[in-house]
Amino acid sequence: MANTQQPGRKPASRRKKSTRARRRTISFYLFVAPWLLGFVLLSVAPLCIGFFTSLTNYDGFDPADSKFIGVDNYARAFSDDRMFFSLGRTLLWAAINTPLWLVVTFCMALILNQKGIKGRGFLRTLYYVPSIVPVVGVVWIWKIILDNNFGLLNAAISLFRPGTALPFLSQYALQSLSVIALWTGLGSGMVIFLAGLQNIPEELKEAAQIDGANALQLFRHVILPIMTPVIFFQLVLGLISAFQQLVLPMLLAPAQEVSGWNPPRSSYLYMIHAYRQLFVYQRYGYSTALLWLLFVVILALTLLVFRTARYWVFYEVEVEGGRQP
Amino acid sequence: MTAKSHNKPIAITTNRFLRYLVAYGSLILFGALVAIPLLYFLITSFKPMEEYLTYPPRFFPTRWQPENYKAAVTMFPYFRYAGHSLFLGLSHTILTVVTSAMAGFAFARINASARDKLFTIIIAMLIVPGIVVQIPQFIIFARLKLTGTWWPWILWGLGGSPFYIFMFRQFFSGFPRELEDAAEIDGCGPFRTFWAVFVPNAKPVIATASILNFAGVWGDYVNPFLFLKDANTTLAVKLQTGYLSPHGELLTTTVLAGALLYVLPLVIAFFLGQRHILEGVVTSGLKG
Repeated sequence: MANTQQPGRKPASRRKKSTRARRRTISFYLFVAPWLLGFVLLSVAPLCIGFFTSLTNYDGFDPADSKFIGVDNYARAFSDDRMFFSLGRTLLWAAINTPLWLVVTFCMALILNQKGIKGRGFLRTLYYVPSIVPVVGVVWIWKIILDNNFGLLNAAISLFRPGTALPFLSQYALQSLSVIALWTGLGSGMVIFLAGLQNIPEELKEAAQIDGANALQLFRHVILPIMTPVIFFQLVLGLISAFQQLVLPMLLAPAQEVSGWNPPRSSYLYMIHAYRQLFVYQRYGYSTALLWLLFVVILALTLLVFRTARYWVFYEVEVEGGRQP
Repeated sequence: MTAKSHNKPIAITTNRFLRYLVAYGSLILFGALVAIPLLYFLITSFKPMEEYLTYPPRFFPTRWQPENYKAAVTMFPYFRYAGHSLFLGLSHTILTVVTSAMAGFAFARINASARDKLFTIIIAMLIVPGIVVQIPQFIIFARLKLTGTWWPWILWGLGGSPFYIFMFRQFFSGFPRELEDAAEIDGCGPFRTFWAVFVPNAKPVIATASILNFAGVWGDYVNPFLFLKDANTTLAVKLQTGYLSPHGELLTTTVLAGALLYVLPLVIAFFLGQRHILEGVVTSGLKG
């Protein structure tokens, strides 16, 4: 465009610029104000209050009656057998569930992405349907299949071995929950991998094939490296949400019972233990302390995963910029 | 593949055949694993309770009982509770989408010095586990006597959501600069530019965010369970407790009918807007 700034008018235009910058700043803050206010009042303040509560013996009635007890709640957690039990179940849950979900959704995306697959759109939609069913619906769908006495699965098993009734909802609750979580997460995971696969430039695959790479080599040396950022992203999200699992064990119980804060031992996850402290025993301080500990565990684990990223996650920038000496 | 085909044409075709067999085999297997539970859910919601309780259970009922659906909507004021869910879903969604679109616009389009730092917070909030704030929020809302009311949903809605802020930012970043300049030349301030230029061009994202968010509130169990009381709770919670026989037994097949009616609106909404929704899920990297 034409040069509108004459040399003689520079100071004026600079002043004009600074008022414009100020105006811009003001309108920026006006636009983000609702979110910022919400962030401070609904995230920062609760975080602080939660941390402060964890240092007291508050019981939910009158804060004036509660005492500051320092780190007692945290110390208590380390002598709480049930806490360790629930933490163990949660680690097992995350260790089964996250890799299972990653592998299955990735493989399905690979299969679905192959050339010449008919009905891709339909299948993608079908696999996604469980992801939009609300959790209450999901749990009922699976309760009638997994029920120890009246479930479809036990009926199917007893065709082969009459009289068997495996306790899917009690003794094997954790395994059952893994299947349920996989069922609900199938579509959302697959859709993201599929999008990643479709972003791989076709020339790259062709170049590898011209160089004589077979399907396996193509996967190992081209597709997999390119997909590592997506896998990494999914791994982090999967781990974080696995550790926070609360609602599935809350709702899954044999069809004639209400589970709530009293799930079977098998699915007694950490979050259940932490929430129980508050909603069953009114131990507000201890409950918030347990949540802070979980927060630290999740944060440490996330950072650990981020640390490993440079060994296996492939970023284009690194290659183009040359490797560090 | 074409380069090699002169070597062993027969091997290649069997290879390809095998590959398709494995591919379609696993796709169909997973399709069945997805579809059978849904189908059995639908069928069992038509079963009489006695048939559900016979051992061994059968896939199809011998007698279809559509009356389950009548019982499902009359055993408690079903539509009133659906209204609670609808109200909370709509009000939360409208507020969240407006707040998030505004913030997303600011992060994409207004160059202020604090922008990048604040955006780091948004990214951090995507990863920071939400559980650390749920119980403290409960403590605060309980002290303010807001538990048992719908106010928390209004406040959460006003606060917006980092997911949708991120989504809107990504979308608004792609708008051509000339659009903004033209609006400015026409004398539009940033609010007019946002409202008259950006919002009308963001319908797909607005639709996606609205449907995803509405589905989130409609499907939420934990928050209404913790924050509301029986009289004003949502359908999700009421479904768990509303279907007891006079003897206090749970009427499973009636629950299923009620649950199916509760799930159905979301499934329909999904089918209507699936293309946008799936794209939205991908761009925001949201986990369902």
